[in-house]
Amino acid sequence: MGRLRRSRTHGGKRDVHRAGRTRARTKDLDQIQLIDLDPKVRARLEAQPLDYETPGLAQHYCVECAKYFETDHALRSHWKGKVHKRRCKQLEEPAYTIEESERAAGLGKEGKRPTQAVSAPTPMSVETWES
Amino acid sequence: MRIEKCYFCSKSVYPGHGSAFVRNDAKVFRFCTSKCHKNFKMKRNPRKVRWTKAFRKAAGKEMTIDSTIDFEKRRNVPVRYDRELVQTTVKAMKRIAEIKKRREHAFWKHRMAAAREKMLAHRKNTSEIRSRPSVKLLQPMAVETEAIMVREKIKVPASSRSRSALVPGEGRSMGMDID
Repeated sequence: MGRLRRSRTHGGKRDVHRAGRTRARTKDLDQIQLIDLDPKVRARLEAQPLDYETPGLAQHYCVECAKYFETDHALRSHWKGKVHKRRCKQLEEPAYTIEESERAAGLGKEGKRPTQAVSAPTPMSVETWES
Repeated sequence: MRIEKCYFCSKSVYPGHGSAFVRNDAKVFRFCTSKCHKNFKMKRNPRKVRWTKAFRKAAGKEMTIDSTIDFEKRRNVPVRYDRELVQTTVKAMKRIAEIKKRREHAFWKHRMAAAREKMLAHRKNTSEIRSRPSVKLLQPMAVETEAIMVREKIKVPASSRSRSALVPGEGRSMGMDID
């Protein structure tokens, strides 16, 4: 009997490993949700100056997926696709942050110097009480 | 020196243990083990991974609102060393841990009771469905009595059996005769 198994079957593993490299790291969901989706930042990202290093000279950018496209047609077909819709769905719920991980561990945050706020009610402390 | 919390599983990361990843926006992600680091690299959401603290808290499997949890805090204002204070703090920590353990147990018991009730209800429901016949049997409208053919066994006396023509060699074996 010869070799029965097809060769080159470890591609998936290799790609996952490569995607995990620090230099290949893509934007995280919390970065996109908290910064990029802001209308101001979004407008700036969608109208970037010509950049010869990025695909499509950085002219066709999908903010939700943090991805550059070669042509406008490609970008539009991407918006219609499953990958983009799935990403939009993920972005609907609040992103997981470091603060949440600490809250889950039971590590709270201390208020702004409670001893000062009690002894001298300054306008700043009044604001904190209200909020 | 600080005991940090793992980004992924929210476990404590003691000095000299685990690893950290600093993102290009200067956010520090700390990991207790390579397992947590790998899961982070795979961009998994800890809220959806069942073994993390975040999942357990989000899914209502652990106590979230309690006065015993509120003691642990990140304090950025240093406190001057005071022997008395340390002693009372240590004493309080032990006592609070005791109370917390008891409350957690009560919470667990309550949760399990609710789960058991749910399970019993489910079991009852399914057993009812299962005991219900899938086909409704009806009485036959007109009963026709058909003559049932009964096969009778006819006994043949052994002596009347003749030698079959199908048996080769008149009942003798096909084998070679050996003198």
